[in-house]
Amino acid sequence: MTDFPQPDAVKQAQDPGRMSRLWASDFAYAFRRSPVAIGATAVVLVLVLAAIFAPLIAPHDPFNPATLNLMNGFTPPGTPNAFTGDTFWLGTDDQGRDVFSTILYGLRISLFVGFSAVLLALIIGVTLGLIAGYAGGWAETIIMRVADVQLTFPAILVAMLIFGVAKGITPPEYRNQMAIWVLIIAIGLSDWVQFARVVRGATLVEKNKEYVQAARLIGRTGPAIMLRHILPNVLSPVLVIATISLALAIIAEATLSFLGVGAPPTQPSLGTLIRIGQGFLFSGEWWILLFPSITLLALALAVNLMGDWLRDALNPRLK
Amino acid sequence: MFRLSIASAIALSIGAAAHGETFRWASTTDPQSMDPHAVSSTPVLSFLNNVYEGLVRRGKDMSVEPALATEWAPIGNGEGWRFTLRQGVVFHDGATFNADDVIFSYERASSDASDVASWFAPVSEVIKVDEYTVDFMTTDPNPIFPDSIANWMIMDSDWAAANGAKLPAKEAENFATLNANGTGAFVLAQRQPGLKTTLTPHDDWWGEAEHNITSAEFTPIQNPATAVAALLSGDVDLINPVPIQDAARLAQSDGVQVIQGIEARVIMLGFPHAAETLKYTAQAGQPNPFLDVRVRQAVAHAVNVPAILQTIMRGNAEPAWQLVSAPMRGYIDNLEERPAYDVQMAKDLLAEAGYENGFSFGLKCTNDRYLNDESVCQAVVSMLAQIGLTAELDAMPVRNYWPELRSNNMDMFLLGWSPGTFDAEHPIRFIVATDNPEKKLGSWNFGGYSSARIDELLPQIQSEIDDTKRMEMLEEVTRIYQDEVAYVPLYVQPLIWGARDTVSLTQRPDDFLILRWIRIE
Amino acid sequence: MIAFILRRVFQSVIVLLIVGLVAFSMFRFVGDPIENMLGQERTQADVDRLRTQLGLDQPFIVQYLKFLGNAAQGNFGVSYRQGRPVATILAERAPATLELAAVSGTLAVLVGIGMGVFTAIRRNGVASNVIMSLSLVGVSLPTFLIGILLIYLFSVELDLLPSFGRGDTVMVGGWSTGFLTKSGLLALILPSITLGLYQMTLIMRLVRSEMLEVLRQDYIRFARARGLPERVVNFRHALKNTLVPVITVTGLQVGSIIAFAIITETVFQWPGVGLLFINAIQFVDIPVMAAYLMLISVMFVAINLIVDLLYFAIDPRLRIDGRH
Repeated sequence: MTDFPQPDAVKQAQDPGRMSRLWASDFAYAFRRSPVAIGATAVVLVLVLAAIFAPLIAPHDPFNPATLNLMNGFTPPGTPNAFTGDTFWLGTDDQGRDVFSTILYGLRISLFVGFSAVLLALIIGVTLGLIAGYAGGWAETIIMRVADVQLTFPAILVAMLIFGVAKGITPPEYRNQMAIWVLIIAIGLSDWVQFARVVRGATLVEKNKEYVQAARLIGRTGPAIMLRHILPNVLSPVLVIATISLALAIIAEATLSFLGVGAPPTQPSLGTLIRIGQGFLFSGEWWILLFPSITLLALALAVNLMGDWLRDALNPRLK
Repeated sequence: MFRLSIASAIALSIGAAAHGETFRWASTTDPQSMDPHAVSSTPVLSFLNNVYEGLVRRGKDMSVEPALATEWAPIGNGEGWRFTLRQGVVFHDGATFNADDVIFSYERASSDASDVASWFAPVSEVIKVDEYTVDFMTTDPNPIFPDSIANWMIMDSDWAAANGAKLPAKEAENFATLNANGTGAFVLAQRQPGLKTTLTPHDDWWGEAEHNITSAEFTPIQNPATAVAALLSGDVDLINPVPIQDAARLAQSDGVQVIQGIEARVIMLGFPHAAETLKYTAQAGQPNPFLDVRVRQAVAHAVNVPAILQTIMRGNAEPAWQLVSAPMRGYIDNLEERPAYDVQMAKDLLAEAGYENGFSFGLKCTNDRYLNDESVCQAVVSMLAQIGLTAELDAMPVRNYWPELRSNNMDMFLLGWSPGTFDAEHPIRFIVATDNPEKKLGSWNFGGYSSARIDELLPQIQSEIDDTKRMEMLEEVTRIYQDEVAYVPLYVQPLIWGARDTVSLTQRPDDFLILRWIRIE
Repeated sequence: MIAFILRRVFQSVIVLLIVGLVAFSMFRFVGDPIENMLGQERTQADVDRLRTQLGLDQPFIVQYLKFLGNAAQGNFGVSYRQGRPVATILAERAPATLELAAVSGTLAVLVGIGMGVFTAIRRNGVASNVIMSLSLVGVSLPTFLIGILLIYLFSVELDLLPSFGRGDTVMVGGWSTGFLTKSGLLALILPSITLGLYQMTLIMRLVRSEMLEVLRQDYIRFARARGLPERVVNFRHALKNTLVPVITVTGLQVGSIIAFAIITETVFQWPGVGLLFINAIQFVDIPVMAAYLMLISVMFVAINLIVDLLYFAIDPRLRIDGRH
């Protein structure tokens, strides 16, 4: 939501040539040596696969209202379905939805929102960062001033405002499908600044290097130089930021859901599930809150640990 | 600022002196004004009922009883009502109450700037007969007039004049927005909007104090889970409402009791009776199936109300098939129950209407207005799916909801109605009568339902003095809207308050917290 | 230097005006304020009259210009919901948020730096690794959930701390403070932990990575080689040199503390400006929303400027382009 430390990411971009080499040897070696990295990656992989194959794994389709029976509501974990005899291993929620299935489907939405939002932020941020760094002048001034305001302007506020507008201008019949896309745009737009700042900083350093000068001499155009020569050399800090942003985006989606601007309850994300579940904290149906929370915690924690490890691993100074 | 600081110092010292009888309560919304005529909303009227009083008031069973008027009687053949005022009543600032205050409060409350002016729509003239007698003349005979002004509160004319608050203010600050001077059992001691409002007993109150409170503090707590935590940890003595799902657990907790009742509010599904076509989903633009009464009947049979009551409402609500609940005046006792939950019958009805393959449409719903409204709508969606109707749910905060409904952006919608007059005529006037802005009828009839016979009966009901005849007409209206399935009433929303064990109180069906009935042991 | 400041202020004002314009264009999507202001029994005539009275029938550009004109004279209008001047309401509410932000910010800085140094010095120790991992748990759950869980644990189950609100406050020259009463101080604990947790983690990780960098520097090795005590090396030499980026990031975090206060305040019913803003959204109280957004924008721009100037003052090499 805000920038995790950039200084080392920027400094690190000053040693560009190392990245590819690191990837080949040291990087892979460091990964094999780190149980935390292996564990975190495994957790992320399992969760991503579970999300992708949710329709195959989930015992029920919680998004299909015709399969729900309200009388199954609030079934405790491990209790059989009164109608079909299947066991609800993680219990059911207030609508009689199987919590395990809703988590799988919710994970899908959360990951989709998270990945897409980060991708959007990355594309916007990297593009603007490259332009600002390479072109300089008024383009840089505008981009960086907007970035300044945006950076200090709270991301959740930005997201709430964007959500408000998008809901307003979307024709009513598309609103439900739109909610997810609006979330992506809202979180993505509130998150591009860190990418822009880091890329700009790195570009400023790169553009005066000899190889860029050389490219310019042989007649390469600005965009070509930015894409072909500068971009590959700033990718490692971008990768680190993207990983941490992914965790933040998933949490941001949950937070927005609490503020009432999240995924629709008929197609809940993990965040929406937690928002719904917190209403049952005192009523004794702990499983409605606990299991989605654990899943979100595991996902965000694993992604954060990966980001943490990546930052250390890609930072040659910490070798 | 300075005023507030002195007040808080006083409040602190009082709190310290007699902590045992300080009553602290919390509710979701802060009463937004201390002006009894500026805002007509339950939080405001409920709160101010402790500070201000009307000519009449409602007792523990909702019946109308004398307050500032000791008696009242119709004039002639229903030309109006004569109220005899109570003598020896003083306002909080010591001023004496008399007919001038009634006239002044009438003018204030019926002015353009007032939000409660509609209560006085039937009134043609108010006449001061003497210091303690006032006549209210009505354009037509009006049997329920005394009932309808139970929340009309009397303000001291001199106090209002002296403080520049002769009219209620909505768009600007006004002395009466933050201060109060009523005749009620409690004095507004400190007002910090959105934070805390403190009341202390009125020593010269005319009535006999039933309570033993020395100070009462109100705090708004928005997040339901926080409110429950505050009650459980003893930080407050009462919360209203208790989230339905927490009621059973709270009732079992040490030191906490749950007080339940049936609220006046009926929750129902509404249909677009006037729309030619559907507006949502892939079938937008197709003819509107809800114009066929069989489709509406099918919906009534398809919604499993007992299941909603058992799970989402946790057994705390009553099913409904009339637009008012049983304790209301004009509820018809001998009518049949709501249609049985019967999937097969619903499917047959759909088939008869030519929709054996079902259809899809959009369901509009609030998510912050009624108890568990979003959950109920979700459940409705899955129940309708069982008979082949695919409802796309669009749940939104109430601030966006009414504008949507007013623009007719719905194929089906959720509505809750609480009759302000506690009379069956109220929902008929607002949500059943044909929309007619000039006559101020049908202003919440979003679906555009229209029945010539009901429109004909309504004015007669409004002016009928004979209760038997009135009930007959109400019964006919009720049968018509039930037979035509103008709405599908689902259930009557419950009232659930949570309090510490040490508190004894009376819960009124209108959700008003009356402090003078509260005792702390 | 002065030219730099002027240029930055000018640019910031332009951005602020645009932010304001965008915000105003969006208010009508939040909902219709009239719906909340009139009761069940209002008529269409009442609605129209009120709409005209509030100027809501005019295009949003006109509404915006009016707002700007009034705001320039220090008049932020009257709250639709409370019927009181917005400036008064904000002044009443600001102390609560500022005190909460100050406490959680201080907490985040002190604990964050302490743990950051510790984990850097004992880089491979078990305790550091546990702290590093645990700190991530705090940022891997949404704030509202952490708040609710804290209430559940410390107010309901253990009955140690108040579940909501600010406790008793005392007025000191127009400022309501919770610092002077016992209940006020107790009430601060849970919300400030909830609010400060994220920043604490952030600062701790930043200090750690900066320390690791610095500890590898030659002058630290020399200091060690000279036989200076470890404590002196770590704190007097190393920590001092990590503080510049820490100050910057902390400065920028002030903004996000105020923003996240919205959630913390909602969960704990903390009567600050964040809760006010959430209420304003709920009731479509446009004057309050507008004033809040403008106020925090101005504050954020000011913070930004101060951070830039600090940079300027600390590191002359950066004079060419503001940051990095």
